[in-house]
Amino acid sequence: LQDEPAMKKERETKDDGRYIIFFSFEDEEPAPDEGRRG
Amino acid sequence: LNQLRWDPTLGEWVAYATHRQDRTFLPPAEYCPLDPTKPGGFPTEVPRPSYDIVVFENKFPSLAPDAPEPEGEGSTLTPAAAGRGVCEVVLYSDDHNSTLATMPEGRIRNLVEVWADRYEELGALPFVEYVFVFENKGEAIGVTLHHPHGQIYAYPFVPPRPKKELEAARNHRRETGNCLHCDLLAESSTTAVA
Repeated sequence: LQDEPAMKKERETKDDGRYIIFFSFEDEEPAPDEGRRG
Repeated sequence: LNQLRWDPTLGEWVAYATHRQDRTFLPPAEYCPLDPTKPGGFPTEVPRPSYDIVVFENKFPSLAPDAPEPEGEGSTLTPAAAGRGVCEVVLYSDDHNSTLATMPEGRIRNLVEVWADRYEELGALPFVEYVFVFENKGEAIGVTLHHPHGQIYAYPFVPPRPKKELEAARNHRRETGNCLHCDLLAESSTTAVA
């Protein structure tokens, strides 16, 4: 089993009161062609 | 309106959310509300110029944490209840043209971590009985935004299909003493695929 990726979680409140959560990770491998292969 | 109404012919709750008729419907790509907000550009749902994975409360939710009690409680045969729950949108990437199928494994693994985070947090809410993570894809099934995204519904009841699945798993445990999904996994790993 691999270690869990380090996850950063930032919670903010939008102008209309709804929450929004930004997740970011440190371990994702670079993928220069991500999303443009299909 | 966020309201649950009991359908006695099916024996299940049905969620009514009339405001969803007004939701954003297939906007042009340059006005996608799920793209990041570019400097000088129109404000989208995400007030940052870039992002990794984002979760936010659906602007047009079928279930809401503050859903009011219905004005009428309905009848004994057809009771009504507040449509209390949470509906979230999960953005997989800030690349409008990306798809889950073409994303690197690392990003998909990170997405699973986000799903687990939301499952745990939403499942702990006192009014939530079931958390459903899902993705609709394609206009034929009703998708109104093409940006790579999924949704999460946190229900105040266990929906019919997972309720049947739970009952089947309990029956299997009672009859065999085993975990149903463990047995299915063990069987599939020893059975050749035709």
